[in-house]
Amino acid sequence: MSSADDSMESLYPFLYSASADLDRVLTAVRQSTVDKANEIVALRQTVADRDGARMAACAEAMAAAFSRGARLFAFGNGGSSTDAQDVAALFLHPEGHPEGHPESHPEGHPGSTARPLPAFALTADIAVVTALSNDIGFEVVFARQLAASGRAGDIAFGLSTSGNSRNLIAAFEEADRRGMITVGLAGYDGGQMAELGTIDHLFVVPSSSVHRIQEAQTTVYHALWELTQDALTRLGPAAEAPVPPRAK
Amino acid sequence: MDQAVLASVPEIFARRVGPARSLATEAERVARACHAMATRFHRGGRLIVFGNGEAATDAQHISVEFVHPVIVGKRALPSFSLTSDVATITGIAAETDFGDVFAHQLRHLGAPVDIALGVSPYGNCVNVLRALETARELGLLTIALVGGDGGEIARSPAVDHVLIAPTGDPRVAKEVHVTTYHILWELVHVFFEQPGVLDPQVVA
Repeated sequence: MSSADDSMESLYPFLYSASADLDRVLTAVRQSTVDKANEIVALRQTVADRDGARMAACAEAMAAAFSRGARLFAFGNGGSSTDAQDVAALFLHPEGHPEGHPESHPEGHPGSTARPLPAFALTADIAVVTALSNDIGFEVVFARQLAASGRAGDIAFGLSTSGNSRNLIAAFEEADRRGMITVGLAGYDGGQMAELGTIDHLFVVPSSSVHRIQEAQTTVYHALWELTQDALTRLGPAAEAPVPPRAK
Repeated sequence: MDQAVLASVPEIFARRVGPARSLATEAERVARACHAMATRFHRGGRLIVFGNGEAATDAQHISVEFVHPVIVGKRALPSFSLTSDVATITGIAAETDFGDVFAHQLRHLGAPVDIALGVSPYGNCVNVLRALETARELGLLTIALVGGDGGEIARSPAVDHVLIAPTGDPRVAKEVHVTTYHILWELVHVFFEQPGVLDPQVVA
């Protein structure tokens, strides 16, 4: 039996007896939901205590970059690819933005005055992703995309739970070479992402649960976005209408 | 560093605590929804997921969660999102109506034994509600993850199980939804691995 099964058995002992019945299972799963809710609240507090100041500093760097015409490129694998797409959608078209449908948005919630910012998800272009994977290998997908589109001063934003995804490691190396601002989200102890030296702003969620890591990472990128919007507002009108850099 | 930016960090995190804890009070609804989902999977049903904007990424996250579990040894369960095929979505939207993008796909891809799961940050997305209504007409199990006060979707008789993240901040609602669907995945497997609890005679 694997360790995952062992932990499942310790969490739900009723289920491993011969006489498991529906009510007992329901009782066990109800308690599991309560435990998970408490776990994520505590984990987010740990992240806020450990990394709050660094998050503010990262947001200021991103705001300064956006005000100079930077674009953000987000990337990740599997569930983290959906987070990458969420990051891009959040920066480019914040939910609740006045350009949306006002009838579906309560007045005055955060985001209602947010400024749309240029952001791309590298996982969204399936033609490029499959072409690179087929012709070269999956480990180059994000790095080659950054090599093609990334400019000095742009932002590379990579998400991983393990911190060990080879295509992310390669992407951060490429981004660093190109003089991009690099932001990384990882879990566990940060894995190889913590050893690279190519990530300017690394946020490690100290948990061994992939699920709790992803949940806390969602909060981290939401907070980074909100702090970036705050910082842009404080930079003043000059930052409101950046002149797009000319192609070289 | 700009101290004003730094000063807003504690408030940003504090805003999450109440809604995250509220999930504990939903434990009974979560358990019932998981049991119903597991029963459908047991009969050969598939999980079909949809949402707009940032919730579209949740739809894709939910389907990858079930198809390719992060915990080694858990079996793959059939699931797909209606947000991934951009040719179909833009085709339907351009020729008919964006309100029909998910309902159309459900009508032609869904089977009565399947599960329809819609995600909507305020509970008012027209195309999500229409898809849930279509799913109900076809006989699918219908589940909604919503925020705010639950909106039109929470009030709709077409939805079997509604889980509400009680917050007007769509980012915070999303975070509650992520925890919720991780729990849905885990608890579906708990039921699914228990011979007996999914037999028709014990299904309420």
